[in-house]
Amino acid sequence: MMKYVLKRIGMLVVTMLLVSFLTFLAFELISGDPARSMLGTNAPSYQVDALRHELGLDQPFFLRYFKWLTGFFSGDLGISYSYRQPVWDLIGSKLMITILLSLISFALIVIISIPMGIFSYQWGGGPFEWIRTSFNQLCMAIPPFFTGILLSYVFGILFRVFSPGDFPDLYEEPGAAFLHLFFGAICLSIPRIAMTTRMMRSTIVSEMNKAYVRTAISRGNDRRSVLVTHVLKNSLTSVVSFLGQTMAEILAATIVVEQVLGIPGLGRFLVLSIAQRDYPVVQAIVVILAFWVVLAGTLADLINQSIDPRLRLGGDLA
Amino acid sequence: MSQQEDKKLVLEVKNVSAGYRDGGFAGHGGTYHEVLHDVSFNVRHGEILGLVGESGTGKSTLARVILGLLKPEQGEVIHYTPRPQIIFQDPYSSLNPTYSAWWSVEEPLRIFGKYDEKERKRRVGDMLRKVELPEECYEAKPEELSGGQRQRVSIAAALIRRPRFIIADEPVSALDVTIQAQILKLLRSLRDELDLSYLFISHDLNVVYQLCDRVLVMKAGRIVEQGTIEEVYNHPKEDYTKRLLEASK
Repeated sequence: MMKYVLKRIGMLVVTMLLVSFLTFLAFELISGDPARSMLGTNAPSYQVDALRHELGLDQPFFLRYFKWLTGFFSGDLGISYSYRQPVWDLIGSKLMITILLSLISFALIVIISIPMGIFSYQWGGGPFEWIRTSFNQLCMAIPPFFTGILLSYVFGILFRVFSPGDFPDLYEEPGAAFLHLFFGAICLSIPRIAMTTRMMRSTIVSEMNKAYVRTAISRGNDRRSVLVTHVLKNSLTSVVSFLGQTMAEILAATIVVEQVLGIPGLGRFLVLSIAQRDYPVVQAIVVILAFWVVLAGTLADLINQSIDPRLRLGGDLA
Repeated sequence: MSQQEDKKLVLEVKNVSAGYRDGGFAGHGGTYHEVLHDVSFNVRHGEILGLVGESGTGKSTLARVILGLLKPEQGEVIHYTPRPQIIFQDPYSSLNPTYSAWWSVEEPLRIFGKYDEKERKRRVGDMLRKVELPEECYEAKPEELSGGQRQRVSIAAALIRRPRFIIADEPVSALDVTIQAQILKLLRSLRDELDLSYLFISHDLNVVYQLCDRVLVMKAGRIVEQGTIEEVYNHPKEDYTKRLLEASK
């Protein structure tokens, strides 16, 4: 168990190093000079050269990468080109908002879709099956930005429950801020709740057809106790992996939802910073988001292997 | 002959016909495919009755009918002992992978609910010793057990509520020959010790010869021949039985 945890953490570190290197390399390869774009096309080249020197851009690639990496570990994410402020001061509070937004969405998905998957297995079928299936498909197809617009109109403009575009301060009005984030989370989670519910249901169906279920029934279990004691535990592993991937998708979708509902999170700032070629900001955000995604995957694996020891042995589950 | 018929019966299968439906809507309508045609036989107290035949002749369908998992279209199945149990073929997939050997064997007692924890512990320990599972395997998950060990766990779970009649559906077909011999020996000694009767389903005539007292030969859903092992193996009446015996040599 301990050995597996350590191995998994080792993999996480290696992945993060790769991500950070690729991120750094990507901005090296992109055409365009940050110093030039900061000073404008009319600036004399000696000024541009001076700024390049000041920003450390005239140093060799690997040296800059190494400095950036060691800075990262000591909490120094560099200085923003556009704002001339430490990156951490710029993104700290935004990171908090985005993480809260994705955690609320994630909680909604877990709390709603796992019971819904079980219910739709237990009471599925029958003549109204097509209604359930079409509703599920509809929910899967609703893009978060559309729900965002709809919620802004209904709850923001008609009922004035929250004010889209005017995000309350997280520390001064936590209740109002939380409500605002909650609407964002609804947009993010609807399609994923539909997907996870469907996934949960189909996993239960396929587990129910396995030989150990037949044995369990012949040993005296009824339908309900087979589901509760035998099938759910075996179904959870694939749902947990699926949820690990869902975390990554939520994060990607926050960018759009933050734009639509005016939530000042990382996503919005990321789009802005890319446009301004503010590389230190972009690099920091990309690495932090990547870390969050990789961490979710690692946690999913660790949870799974504590449910099902076969995963620890590295065997396949066919 | 009359002596044998005087013996107590554990199971009576009378003129059973059964099959499956396909197509149709929600289990209604569709085409009926009859698998078993007018099957009748008895299992006597204390005997091991073999059921042989090629795959696809309806042996497992018969097991399902006897256990009440499939309703016969015609005829009836009469059990003279309570709680008949079954041992399945594939020990690799028939145990829940997430639970330990001990857990799987204890489960029927927990569901039964009549014994407290101490009594359950005593009974499970007792049964695991009877099936000769090494003590270090008690807390092991199926993945960590060999095929033979898993089949011992399955046997223990089937026997834990002390049934008197067991259906063994190809219980050794997935095992290699030396393990097969050990499990057959175990099944025979458990029969004597716990006063069991078996219906032993197999496609392997050599295994049936080693273990069984009487044998039924099944072909395309009908019982074409039955008798003691000596009668059937030494003086087969049906061409089909002769061909099966020829093929197994």
